[in-house]
Amino acid sequence: MINDIPETRIDLKAINAWRLTSLIIGLSFFVPVGVYIAITVNTEVFEPLLITLAVILSLVFYLFVGLAIPKLRWKRWRYEVSEDAIDLLRGFIFKTRTVVPINRVQHVDTNQGPIYRKYGLSSVKISTAATTHEIPALDDETAADVRNKISQLVRQVKEDV
Amino acid sequence: MSEFRRQHWSAAIDRLFNSIRQNFVTFLILIFVGSRQAGGDYFLYVLLGTIILTFISGIGGWYRFQYRVFEGELQIKKGIFVRKNVYMSKDRIQVIDVTEGLVQRIFGLVKVEVKTAGGGTESATISAITFNEAEELKRELRNKGTSSNQTDEIHEDVELLNKEDEFIDEWKISTKELVLAAFTSGNFGLIASILTAVSGQLDAVINDESIEYLKDTLPGLNNVTLIITVIVVILVVSWTLSFLGVIFSYSDFSVKKTEKELLIRSGLIERKHTTIPFDRIQAIRFVEGILRQPLGCGMLYVESAGFEHNAKERSIVLVPFISKAKKYDFFNRFLSDFHVPELDIVPPKRSFFRYLRRPNYLLLFAIPAAWYMWDMGWLLTFLLVPATILGWLRFNDAGLYFDTNMIVVQFRNLNRKTAFIRRKRIQVIEEHTNPFQARKDITSLSVTAASGAKGIEFRVNDFEKSDISSIRKWLLSGEKDTDLLSE
Repeated sequence: MINDIPETRIDLKAINAWRLTSLIIGLSFFVPVGVYIAITVNTEVFEPLLITLAVILSLVFYLFVGLAIPKLRWKRWRYEVSEDAIDLLRGFIFKTRTVVPINRVQHVDTNQGPIYRKYGLSSVKISTAATTHEIPALDDETAADVRNKISQLVRQVKEDV
Repeated sequence: MSEFRRQHWSAAIDRLFNSIRQNFVTFLILIFVGSRQAGGDYFLYVLLGTIILTFISGIGGWYRFQYRVFEGELQIKKGIFVRKNVYMSKDRIQVIDVTEGLVQRIFGLVKVEVKTAGGGTESATISAITFNEAEELKRELRNKGTSSNQTDEIHEDVELLNKEDEFIDEWKISTKELVLAAFTSGNFGLIASILTAVSGQLDAVINDESIEYLKDTLPGLNNVTLIITVIVVILVVSWTLSFLGVIFSYSDFSVKKTEKELLIRSGLIERKHTTIPFDRIQAIRFVEGILRQPLGCGMLYVESAGFEHNAKERSIVLVPFISKAKKYDFFNRFLSDFHVPELDIVPPKRSFFRYLRRPNYLLLFAIPAAWYMWDMGWLLTFLLVPATILGWLRFNDAGLYFDTNMIVVQFRNLNRKTAFIRRKRIQVIEEHTNPFQARKDITSLSVTAASGAKGIEFRVNDFEKSDISSIRKWLLSGEKDTDLLSE
């Protein structure tokens, strides 16, 4: 249980939710090119070749961040809630494993933004006296279950800060 | 104390002084600018008016401010226009500070600050009451406060409390230690940079004319000696300031121990008394500054959770200067929950070159950039040597230790730091692994304890993966996994 890496994956719908988020936010990658075009369009510095190149580069980057990364992120996200601890493992290049002993948890809540709502997803936020941690993109029901399970476990072992 | 009380009226003066002190720089600039302009008198009236208004609002604030301890709560009513009621349950109180500032000392009073922890942390300050009132307040707030399952009989409690109040032990620092602490304080670098920034703004005083005048009056002054003189003056001034700063803050320093608490007292002009219950200690930190380590000395801090105004207030200085040898004695006498062990877990040999490389990564980008921009940029290459030495020191200093109840994490950024945390006070641990570390089967560990309103993180790099796993298991089970270590 503690010995092995955590097993539970987050919801598959996370990939699409994250893709949508990244594709919206990623539109900002085109701002530099846009500004450059706007400034130079009627002057002699205007270079169509350079601009085409920049647009292609931005597009490749945009698609990579928007389509490929969410999948990799999902693939690497694991969590586990046991009687002793909340165990989180994440990151596809830099791996981070976080272990929060259950009796250190001060409160748990679930959050849902507009995109998560569209996909029926929620994230669970776990706060200790020092830090906050998040399990992203769980099915609404699972998120509620996880939240209830954690707060139940905390009540069982409650100690003062 | 169940009736609402007011503070001494000097609270209004204290408030006035505080707002002047907080806006000291603004005041200076305003006076400076105002007096040079035509109609400067006019301006001074405005300034005077502001001060009088602040004083009047201070009196209003004093009149509205009332406090009492009622049914285990500290209750405060305050606010002139926006009325505010603060209720603090004594079970939540972490630290009680009693300060005798300049104003308070004139009137023979003290200031009490009560800090709590938890969501929406808050602090309450009662800025002018007598010492006896403060003691009474403290007693009432601590009474049964730390453990609510104690006996309900009040008489027994009082007896118990009197016994608890007795000082079991006391620690002082000698004049020699105080002077050494002042000599080796690293603050002067910070003050020097502030001074440099400020002097750049003093165009009115430092201009071509005055420099020419100086050159004429002082023999042997040319551009080079002028620059050197300025640097030396800034260094000397800032160093003196930092020296005096340490002397003022830590004169008359003592730590007293009662059955349940540590009482820290320090300060020459503004005297501060801090009370920390043992069961509110989150972590102990030993910091050996680069100037202090050669002397085998450092500074001890205690971390506690609670409200903080700024980062400086987050950690409480437990002992401002202590030698390594005396540290063992101090831990034995004052911190019986902790001890100073040998660090038996160290990074493996194969991490050595990673440690050497780590401080150099930044230079890898900085050197080409600097070289490109300035002719003399290549000089930065010489920084590779101290950076590598730093990496070497970091490798030697990194270490871990854990037993049933406690973990010790030692690492170096610039200063060497050793953190002592009880297992039950560890809020979270994190293992960080990048692809290169994964290939070598090593990993970095960070241990977080609560401190102030946030946490304080202690991180060591490139340790054996199995060692870090055994720490993770120990955190949850409390047992040292001997099988795994002997493997």
